[in-house]
Amino acid sequence: MTGKTQARARRALFSASGYHGTGILLAVFFLAPFAITILSSFRHGTEARLPPVPPWPTNGVSLDAYRSLDSFGAGVWQHTLNSAAVAIGTALLTVAVSLLAGYGFSRYRFKFKNALFVLIIATLMIPFQSILTPLFIILAKLGLNNSLIGLTLVYVTLQLPFSVFMMRNAFDAVPKEIEEAARIDGARDLGLLIRVLLPLVLPGIVTVAIFAFLNSWNEFLAALVLLSDNSKFTLPILISAVRAGRLGAIDWGAVQAGVTVMSVPCLFVFLLLQRYYMRGLMTGAVK
Amino acid sequence: MKISKLLAAASLVTFCFAAGAAQAETLQMWVRSGIGASFTKLVEAYNGSHDDKIQMTEVPFSELVQKYATAIAGGQAPDALSLDLIYNPAFAAADQLEDLTDWAKALPYFASLSPSHVKLGTFEDKIYGLPLSVETSVFAWNKDLYKKAGLDPDKAPTTWEEISANAAKIRAISDDTYGFYFSGGGCGGCMIFTFTPLTWGAGADILSEDGKTATIDTPQMRKAIGYYRDMVKAGVVPPGAASDTGTNFLSITNGKIGQQNLGAFAIGTLVTEHPDIHFGVSLIPSVDGKTSSFAGGDNFVITKGSPRAAIAKNFLEYAYSLEGQKVMAKYGSLPTRSDIAAEVLKDLDPRMQVGVDAIAVAKTPYTLQFNDLINSANGPWASFTNAAIFGDDVDGAFATAQEEMQGIIDNAQ
Amino acid sequence: MTLADSLSPSPRRHRPKRRSQWKGVLYIAPAMALVIVFFILPVLFTFWMSLHKWPLIGASSFIGLRNYVRMFSDTRFYSALGFTAYYTVIITIAIFALAFPLAIFVERQRRMVGVYRTAIFMPVVVGLASASLLWVWFGNVDSGFLNPLLAWLGLVDPKSNFFASFDSAFVVICVMVVWKVAGFTMIILLTGLQAIPTELGEAARIDGANRWKRFIYVTLPLMRKTMALSLILSVTGSILAFDQFYIMTAGGPQNKMITVVYYIFNQSFVSFNLGYGAAMSLVLLAILVLISIFQLWLLRVGEDRP
Repeated sequence: MTGKTQARARRALFSASGYHGTGILLAVFFLAPFAITILSSFRHGTEARLPPVPPWPTNGVSLDAYRSLDSFGAGVWQHTLNSAAVAIGTALLTVAVSLLAGYGFSRYRFKFKNALFVLIIATLMIPFQSILTPLFIILAKLGLNNSLIGLTLVYVTLQLPFSVFMMRNAFDAVPKEIEEAARIDGARDLGLLIRVLLPLVLPGIVTVAIFAFLNSWNEFLAALVLLSDNSKFTLPILISAVRAGRLGAIDWGAVQAGVTVMSVPCLFVFLLLQRYYMRGLMTGAVK
Repeated sequence: MKISKLLAAASLVTFCFAAGAAQAETLQMWVRSGIGASFTKLVEAYNGSHDDKIQMTEVPFSELVQKYATAIAGGQAPDALSLDLIYNPAFAAADQLEDLTDWAKALPYFASLSPSHVKLGTFEDKIYGLPLSVETSVFAWNKDLYKKAGLDPDKAPTTWEEISANAAKIRAISDDTYGFYFSGGGCGGCMIFTFTPLTWGAGADILSEDGKTATIDTPQMRKAIGYYRDMVKAGVVPPGAASDTGTNFLSITNGKIGQQNLGAFAIGTLVTEHPDIHFGVSLIPSVDGKTSSFAGGDNFVITKGSPRAAIAKNFLEYAYSLEGQKVMAKYGSLPTRSDIAAEVLKDLDPRMQVGVDAIAVAKTPYTLQFNDLINSANGPWASFTNAAIFGDDVDGAFATAQEEMQGIIDNAQ
Repeated sequence: MTLADSLSPSPRRHRPKRRSQWKGVLYIAPAMALVIVFFILPVLFTFWMSLHKWPLIGASSFIGLRNYVRMFSDTRFYSALGFTAYYTVIITIAIFALAFPLAIFVERQRRMVGVYRTAIFMPVVVGLASASLLWVWFGNVDSGFLNPLLAWLGLVDPKSNFFASFDSAFVVICVMVVWKVAGFTMIILLTGLQAIPTELGEAARIDGANRWKRFIYVTLPLMRKTMALSLILSVTGSILAFDQFYIMTAGGPQNKMITVVYYIFNQSFVSFNLGYGAAMSLVLLAILVLISIFQLWLLRVGEDRP
């Protein structure tokens, strides 16, 4: 009897250590690149072209890499602000548009509903690189080219298939009875949507917002083609200038700083909101 | 209440500023990033002494042409552009540039402007582009490494046998010194600039005179490829060269590279940014010992129909003045006017003169398909240089390049 | 067949719908406006362009279907298709080979599981461009991290340049993509695993099925829908791959890493053959629509909902 318990305990211990060993190895594999890049970006400018061994500053901490990054384009703050404006704008607008559309698709019946839904989802299938020129021309006709607003509208459109799909599923998951009860209490239309249903689909909203934020924060090609002013460029364009090198030499320190500036906000937003994010993603996937 | 008043006042102030600024006009101009500080300094000097302003936007060099073309398509092009001169024929042929013929010919110094640039700026006898910056390719060597390798630091090698032998000696100095460098990872622009002079000087070219036939497979080209292959095989070229798509074009600045072909603007960069590197400059020897060079740089073009063409011309005249030429030369751009070149370079590094000398022996290919054939990272020339120098099948590389280049030329007819 | 089903108007139910008809349309109007202006119009315009010889600058001329005919004899287009297919197959297998064990690993509620899940998911949230840039530095022969690491492990020569040959460059890119995407696939698969009622596994265990058999006969069949979703997301994403090859190898040694989107990009924005690029985009679109119909059928998106 005791022998059996001991064996079981030993096996549990063994499996636990195996489990955590694997877990730690995995965590290292997935996190180490970030850690190495972030730590390396604080090395002295003179060390920038050396391999990161060891991957932390050995000659004291220095901001050389960030100073070098700042000397590209209109300065790193300006580009960060542009990116933040576009990313936050895209997130808010995407939430507003897809909330309404998701509600419409989930709760109402109208002609060609399914066809329209499929149409929105179908935008996912087009490599948008191939429609950039028409997009540029349309934006120019609307007077929205070389503007962060125009870029934001394009990004919102790119986000719609995923977001509308997500929000429709979120509304589908809300029991009809709640709505009926609210209707009896006199809530109607937008009021009903905002006061009663909004809290219930909040995880979906947060998911949509985070995806929109991250994707527009990171997008490169459309930004490059649609913007033409130094002062309006977003971060990825700054980074591409760094990658292209200056005076025939690439400054790896500035690359590390650039990757850090690009990724840290993403990681931060994710860590802050990951419970909503995961919940939203998982309910979306199940449907 | 207060806040809204404040806002109103602020917007009024902004409005006044805007109205005040509207009297002097602002010219929108694009330049490619990575060409060095000379143009930025020129714009600063101009803006400091004129009422009209130039607003300069730096566009990543790899995307400039695409962006400009897209902007034209959308009717949102800048007023003027510093255009890599090799693209000048294509843009002129597409009828997108302002005709400058009469104005240009009236310039008193027109005849002394860099001939390659004017040739590339001319399409069907009309002038659409004028030289803004001149850039030639030259051979450079690190004098300190020459000394350490037991070579005479003041004697320029004149044959590729000599260069290869020197490279081996420099490689032997230590584990991290290398004898030679080039951007071999499919950088068509780098290789046409630094490598084709090896064959040009010996009388060969990769395109026929009229640009209608690809002529890549010549004994001279085979010989040139052979020198580079042997150096790679001997391990005197850093391994990174095989995948460098042009981002580390100036590796010599790290002080570990013994010899390299580079652009004359690098002389300015080396002098101002890396004063610790002692280097010599000479013309690039070809495979038979004669010298050659590539005349590159930018032409100044004005977008067709720009309402601010007068300012653009005014600005260009400033660039051609002694003052303007001096500002540019100080930051590494060669003089575009040969009549005042000596005066412009008077107080500057004597090595700049080598770059000017190169203009006399330099060539520039004239083709409307320059981008597709040569400059594109995925074009036949770029892949040829990589495949022939680093690959296993040299004959195959020649055959593929010949076929693909001819195909592109034929398709465009 | 399925598409036709989903396109046919939904059967009317008993409640009068006239009023809510226009209301529903009103709710989806902003989304539709954006999609029409920034998607449908550009696509129609792309179709129009595909019938023209359309240089990026200068005048265009109508040439009918010649752009489509040209595609059939364009060997570079074929090799782009070939490489895209090759990449899609390899990367999808690689992602699944890692993501499935990961999903099983993080499924059970144990101490620290949340931490591991988060760690594995972190690369998903940074951009592909940033990730590519990070790994291009990592793999750089002079300044990177992979070289010293692998040389220390005795696996490679310290001076080997990973991006110089196709095979090693391809491996580095695949490792980067798997690193970046595995967490996402893992979460999708995890939702599938968690949706399986535990009683089923218990019942199978009582019947004497071992762990492997339970996985094959109970878990996998019930995961069909989830697998289809993640499979198709991965396949679609891989077919549209562009950034990693553009940033990390600029098309790879001797253009061996040109994907279809890369080729379209080159034709449109480097060679300025916008008409030809547009025609190829539409062919690519057709390929993806076929896959999407398959997806819609598997996931029953078109199914009528209450």
